[in-house]
Amino acid sequence: MEFLNFLIILSAAWLVWRRPERERLAFRLLVVACALMALLFFIGTHGSLVPGVNL
Amino acid sequence: MTAPVQDRVRAILAWVVIVLLAGPIGTAVWLGVAQGESPCILCWAQRTSMVLIALVGLFVLRYGPRPRYLGMAVLLGAFGTWMALRHSSLHLLRDVGQGFSVAIFGVHTYVWSWVIHWTVLAVIGVLLLLLREHDAAGGAREPGRVGRFAMGLFVVVVAANALQAFVSTGPPPFIGQSDPVRFSLNPRHWVWENGELAGRISLRGSWTIPRPDPSAVDPDPAHGPLADLPVLAVKGWERLGVPLDGALGDLARDPVSGRVLAVTDRYGVYLLDSTMARVAHHVTLDPGFSIDLTPLAGAAFVGDTLAVLSTNKSHVLLRPDTAADAAVEWRHFLATDGGVTELRRSRFATMRARQQYVLSLAFDPAANEFITVSVPSPRHRRLVVSRFSRSDFLLSSEFLPELAPGLTLRGADRRLAEYVVTGAAVADGLLYAVSAAYSTLLVIDLQARRVRAAYTVPGLERPTGLAVRGAQLLIAHPDGRLAVLDRPAP
Repeated sequence: MEFLNFLIILSAAWLVWRRPERERLAFRLLVVACALMALLFFIGTHGSLVPGVNL
Repeated sequence: MTAPVQDRVRAILAWVVIVLLAGPIGTAVWLGVAQGESPCILCWAQRTSMVLIALVGLFVLRYGPRPRYLGMAVLLGAFGTWMALRHSSLHLLRDVGQGFSVAIFGVHTYVWSWVIHWTVLAVIGVLLLLLREHDAAGGAREPGRVGRFAMGLFVVVVAANALQAFVSTGPPPFIGQSDPVRFSLNPRHWVWENGELAGRISLRGSWTIPRPDPSAVDPDPAHGPLADLPVLAVKGWERLGVPLDGALGDLARDPVSGRVLAVTDRYGVYLLDSTMARVAHHVTLDPGFSIDLTPLAGAAFVGDTLAVLSTNKSHVLLRPDTAADAAVEWRHFLATDGGVTELRRSRFATMRARQQYVLSLAFDPAANEFITVSVPSPRHRRLVVSRFSRSDFLLSSEFLPELAPGLTLRGADRRLAEYVVTGAAVADGLLYAVSAAYSTLLVIDLQARRVRAAYTVPGLERPTGLAVRGAQLLIAHPDGRLAVLDRPAP
């Protein structure tokens, strides 16, 4: 899924650079990529969501 | 901002994006591909966060500092800082040189992630300080030469990341791993899996440890994990002759003077004479001073020194002192009779008994060591005997007792760690430990590191302490009653 996320990010960057009039789509891709990143981090830490130290 | 200032800020922003791409993000790719340092699933998320921050930078270069871009950058900085904190917590407390992954300038990548995301937040703050209302308006702008270079570099670096991600984590639905293998272009070495999806969701994981509660255990000796134990009868009952400020947590007896030390769950420490009917000294510890004390559950004599232990393995050493300085001791005690000085307040650190509470304290004069016995929890079902040197208070040794020949478990699914030891004392080289669960007395050979004998003691009512009185054992109960037993012969 990390691979997919980088493809989404690349698409957004391409729009910003080469198709600046598609700003809304590019920003939506940015939001999707952020959400996917957060989801993957959540999966990686779901066994202990908060740091494993004295809180 | 005036136009020249605006241009300068945009140029600086472009350079920030370039540095971010060429620095941590580009270095990460180089480390992965050339050095074989493949990122784990958490590293991937943090690297992705940096890439997304750089992408937000491109948005600002192209469209100006619109509020939603800055908002997104703040969110990414905040979440990135959280990710770095969570990731670093896995490694920060390890020993020297035991960090995870590569160190750059002596600092590991998970800490660099922390620094970078925190810096992003600071940069956003500066940018907001420089921003004027009309700067956020307007349509797309030409990014300029440096901006175009930043955009081109972004595409190249992110494409390289995508390539590495494809090799290391695979196409969807595969995700990253906790322990990734080194980078290879040989498909036979590629590991694509979803192992990270296994396991249940937990807020605190192995730190989900309930406070120990002896009043909730099963006291029936017939239900204990050890089979066919002999019975040790209660010979009689006594009672502490003084009122206490809380439930009795443990008891100790000085074999020389006969004085008795009692502690309560409300931080009361009582030094009683040998009749247990007169208080020689009394203090109430301030549980919030210096280090946190949980309810007191252990007591031991170390010569003239009084040692008390709280359930979180914090300990306090006290000494009767006719010259006690009231002004100094005020910080230690919520109440005092004025005749006690606090010598030390610190914590015992364990290895095998880590993340476990204790409910007992003993002192072995022959070895000059303190002894604790851990209390099992649903997360950590271990009964660990830990020994701490009197000279430096550090862990000397630790073991999980074996069973001596003749002692057997009732079944393959039973274990010694079902006992909840709430009182312990050393005599004749043996550790006598009473368990509130299943009302059982364990006799542990400290040299052989095994349970030498065990006895059921019908009539106990979830005891909380144990002391040796010559050939007798005094088993303390929360209400101050003491069951008197003949101490089993060594």
